[in-house]
Amino acid sequence: MKPDVPAVLAETAALLVRNAAPDVPPAERAGALGLSAALLGFAAQAWDGAAHNLVQENRAIRALLGEAGSDGDLRLSALSTENDRLRAALIALHIAVEGKNPAKEAAIWAELVASTGRRLVAGSPV
Amino acid sequence: MASPLEPRLAAYIAGRMPDATEIAVDSLTRISGGASRETYRFRLSWRDGEGRPRERKLILRRDPPASLIDTERRIEFEAYRAFFGSAVPVPEMLWLEEADAALDHPFFIAEEIAGFQASPGLLWAEPYVATLEALAQRKWTILGEIAKADPTAVGLDQVMAPVAADACWDRELSYWEGVLDEDEAEPLPIIRAAIRWLRANPPPPARKVGVVHGDYRTGNFLYDEQGVIHGILDWEMAHLGDPLEDLGWSLNPVWSFGRGLAGGLVPRDRAIAIWEAASGMTADPAALHWWELFNCVKGQAIWVSSARAWIDGGNREPIMAYPPWALQNAQDRAALKVMGRL
Repeated sequence: MKPDVPAVLAETAALLVRNAAPDVPPAERAGALGLSAALLGFAAQAWDGAAHNLVQENRAIRALLGEAGSDGDLRLSALSTENDRLRAALIALHIAVEGKNPAKEAAIWAELVASTGRRLVAGSPV
Repeated sequence: MASPLEPRLAAYIAGRMPDATEIAVDSLTRISGGASRETYRFRLSWRDGEGRPRERKLILRRDPPASLIDTERRIEFEAYRAFFGSAVPVPEMLWLEEADAALDHPFFIAEEIAGFQASPGLLWAEPYVATLEALAQRKWTILGEIAKADPTAVGLDQVMAPVAADACWDRELSYWEGVLDEDEAEPLPIIRAAIRWLRANPPPPARKVGVVHGDYRTGNFLYDEQGVIHGILDWEMAHLGDPLEDLGWSLNPVWSFGRGLAGGLVPRDRAIAIWEAASGMTADPAALHWWELFNCVKGQAIWVSSARAWIDGGNREPIMAYPPWALQNAQDRAALKVMGRL
């Protein structure tokens, strides 16, 4: 999720403090708190599965790329950096096989569909 | 506590109403949402040239320090003005200020169309749920009216960049691909694949070059309990182009709000039929498919751009983090759906 969750949570905390001041107009406070609550809800949903999903996805993409290796550093920031590298490589692979290797292409599409399943949040419109 | 903007706003308006006296602004309140402009409602009161007390509810739309989308406020202002009093209901535009001096950022002031709803969240409960068909009829009829408009006759050819019928698709795709190139914070394999398909399979030239609203969707109009639409809002992305672009945006699966219906209102085919009847145009299925997928790219570019504005620190409002978190994956899934892969 971009922007990164820790940065958004820190900013949300500061926003909540500002909205605790008594002179904030009620409509502005309501708008700020409503959106803050929604962001906290997304963060809560992502929390438990985030590392698991990134490890799964990185493993799946490495298999498509024919790369060896695994995720040694399980911090979300490290997993995300590796995920970015792998997804960039996946785009290059996709371009290379498009119209040339139907089986590989199908496998890439299957992984891309699966990736949106991993990122699915409650209430998603699609 | 009164907003410090109130006296500055009153001073600005006083300069535009030379016959008025005792000009005052009060009840200035920021309206939540509005990721591309700061939107406020306020009450203006004054005495007219004959000393009679007057008042009016108005809207202030001011540029933020950094925006979800970069747009020309003059184009938005003139688009509203072009359709005022027509079959396309819009609020009356009053003043446009493009300098920073008066209120720190450029802004415009318009009448408030008060007393109606804009939130999509209310639509699927009583009393609104009974009006969805009527609302859809109005929604896509008005979009057909926009498609039917002659840009020259309404004066928008003077403020909007011209485009040839066979260049509409490339101009729009290149623009939004450029936004993605500049703003993406992570690789987007699904949207990049969609872009490759769009470039390899361009649509036919536009049947006409018309006015494109640019953000025509459920959530950007004011409605009542009878399914009547009283105002079409958010013209900040208006431009000249293929009218199918607007139809495609209105059918973007992210605007189904999880209900599997066009705009959350009616089946897709019904929406298209209403639009065709109102516009007098036919929506070529292959061309419309192209524009629907294009709009998934455009949507993703907007969410990515919002994330970028937040990450770079230009705008740390929660409204800038919400769209990417809520919609980026949904937009990828929408693209997969349009491509027949989900």
